[in-house]
Amino acid sequence: MSLRQLLSRLPRCLGASGPLRGPLDTISSVISWRGQSSRSPAQWNQVVSEAEKIVGYPTSFMSLRCLLSDELSNIAMQVRKLVGTQHPLLTTARGLVHDSQNNLQLRGLVVLLISKAAGPNSMNASCQNYDMVSGIYSCQRSLAEITELIHTALLVHRGIVNLNELQSSDGPLKDMQFGNKIAILSGDFLLANACNGLALLQNTKVVELLASALMDLVQGVYYENSTLAKENRITDDIGISTWKEQTFLSHGALLAKSCQAAMELAKHDAEVQDMAFQYGKHMAMSHKINSDLQPFIKEKTSDSLTFNLNSAPVVLHQEFLGRDLWIKQIREAQEKGRLDYAKLRETIKAGKGVTSAIDLCCYHGNKALEALESFPPSEARTALENIVFAVMRFS
Amino acid sequence: MASCWWRWRWRRACSWRPAARSPGPNSAGRAALSAPRAAAAAATVAVARAQMSYCNIMKSLTSAFQNMYGVSRFHHTTPVACCCSKMQSGEKYTDPFKLGWRDLKGLYEDIRKELFISTAELKEMSEYYFDGKGKAFRPIIVVLMARACNIHHNNSRNVQASQRAIALIAEMIHTASLVHDDVIDDASSRRGKHTVNKIWGEKKAVLAGDLILSAASIALARIGNTTVISILTQVIEDLVRGEFLQLGSKENETERFAHYLEKTFKKTASLIANSCKAVSVLGCPDPAVHEIAYQYGKNVGIAFQLIDDILDFTSCSDQMGKPTSADLKLGLATGPVLFACQQFPEMNAMIMRRFSSPGDVDRARQYVLQSDGVQQTTYLAQRYCHEAVREISKLRPSPERDALIQLSEIVLTRDK
Repeated sequence: MSLRQLLSRLPRCLGASGPLRGPLDTISSVISWRGQSSRSPAQWNQVVSEAEKIVGYPTSFMSLRCLLSDELSNIAMQVRKLVGTQHPLLTTARGLVHDSQNNLQLRGLVVLLISKAAGPNSMNASCQNYDMVSGIYSCQRSLAEITELIHTALLVHRGIVNLNELQSSDGPLKDMQFGNKIAILSGDFLLANACNGLALLQNTKVVELLASALMDLVQGVYYENSTLAKENRITDDIGISTWKEQTFLSHGALLAKSCQAAMELAKHDAEVQDMAFQYGKHMAMSHKINSDLQPFIKEKTSDSLTFNLNSAPVVLHQEFLGRDLWIKQIREAQEKGRLDYAKLRETIKAGKGVTSAIDLCCYHGNKALEALESFPPSEARTALENIVFAVMRFS
Repeated sequence: MASCWWRWRWRRACSWRPAARSPGPNSAGRAALSAPRAAAAAATVAVARAQMSYCNIMKSLTSAFQNMYGVSRFHHTTPVACCCSKMQSGEKYTDPFKLGWRDLKGLYEDIRKELFISTAELKEMSEYYFDGKGKAFRPIIVVLMARACNIHHNNSRNVQASQRAIALIAEMIHTASLVHDDVIDDASSRRGKHTVNKIWGEKKAVLAGDLILSAASIALARIGNTTVISILTQVIEDLVRGEFLQLGSKENETERFAHYLEKTFKKTASLIANSCKAVSVLGCPDPAVHEIAYQYGKNVGIAFQLIDDILDFTSCSDQMGKPTSADLKLGLATGPVLFACQQFPEMNAMIMRRFSSPGDVDRARQYVLQSDGVQQTTYLAQRYCHEAVREISKLRPSPERDALIQLSEIVLTRDK
């Protein structure tokens, strides 16, 4: 059974509705899209599918390959046992398979693109023996896959449930325990594969870079957990600069250090490595701010749509207002102890949070573009620019 | 399964259930020649009485041991007393732990340095088990092996910084896996205190484990040796695969034993074997020495886990007056159970349903204690130790080499 057949069966097993969509099915013809002002997902899809053609193959499911083809671990089988329970792992698994926003495998794609954009180091002959496909060394491809493995591993580990916080609505305890068990083991399995992949690269600097990216990511996820606001709890008072540090850890570090590592693999010098790092960092930041802004930008949103009180627009809004006024606004939006997100959203939209978040997004986007300027013009570089443009587009 | 390093104390007079043997109360270094002989003899009889299929299992295991000595002899080739004349310094260490700790001063402080991050609570969680109270068995084996290999290679009496780093890394990888295992097993206590998951919750505990692993990987990368990185990343994979092996069960009895040994290797022995191999690679270019180090670590590791599995049945009823049977409660069929099942086939059904029916745990325990499961597992552990000693004896004599020999005996004779 081919990997694709396996994957096409998964959504049904996981109880997802709708067929498996993804970049495999949406390769579109080459069109210039910079002039378009549509902010539809189709545009983002186009950017990504264009980019995938440039790097030679669709990058979807890079991290799932090892999970699904390994008989010993049989993770898919174990996850299936969770169908009907409320464990978050099921949602994570569905999200991994059901590609609705083309945000999956984005890190891997960027690593491949930047590898191609930088090209081989003409000054250094030591890479001449590496094999190259579509302008990318196989070790760089491997690195892209490792990046996705690390990202997915922590995605899975984010879905662990605290057993002493369970309520009766969460279902039986043993289901949650089993779900936790599978989530831990799956995440560990992905990390182990990442470590093995890193060892095979035979480059200790790259291992150090990615290991430190993992350490950053773990800290970032820890902060995310701590600041997850419960319905009735007021969020912590963190300013935008703290938010930026924490978001760098949880979203920027992995991509930034991966891009740098890709340059190291091709033996590029420190300057090139730094530019790659800067692109990865700023692109990731701007992407995160963009996704934080979505609940506030979309014209038609359902009233029940919640948003993260620790997202960029909200943190900025809070900073403008000052702590006391913000707490007052939250209280006003609470009805019988439950937060009325629709009301709070309107309050935030009326303030300066949203516009300054858009500005911040563009700030990071432009820094990313600046970093790209030091790379020679190429298809790959254009694709990287297009990704940034797509992320900065709000109108 | 319960990992009992912390419960192991070095005692001059070790007491033990009649089933397994203990050395005499005097010189810790000398192997007790008479006592194990008796146990081995008893075990041989037990083997003879066992059913045919069991004999087949043992035959296949025996063939894994080359050059087996007669079962009545359990000794090492160089008693400590004779070694004095061959030692470079005039010092005489009878305690392998003391000998090993000379190189491990500051071990826990150094580990905590690797975990230096700004997130206070996460740091606290990650440092929780590196409090200096553990016995640090794995680091001790690592540094002793490092010295033994260095001396064997060129009589060097130094331990390289990179070799000492392996000791830290081994302990960190071990601890990271413990933290995750405790969440998986929903354990409440370890090493006499509450587990990380009970204090801080499961979500944060998993992150703490990931953090320790990432710190270990950074330290590993900094050694700057790609071979060593490959050797130790293998351990990380084995640890996870070992846990997965535990999730599944085998129907066939012969398969079950092989499955049990494979899981034991992956979960316990792989780390020790590969850490030993890593320090030998750093200290000596000879592949034969790397293999010796690996085999020593592997055999001691398996023996250690076998004894651990025995203690789960025997220790608490002695000392606490009530059994824990932690492995049974987790649904795990370990060595004593698998052997007992040979004599009491009615245990098969319980094994297959992982002791989930009410009363299963107690019944299984009774069967094990009535059978010779414990004796046979002990015998098996002795054979692994014997093999470890045989391998390590190939190295040039040194205090450290002899300490490693003593350690393998300590593995067998510890009690709770």
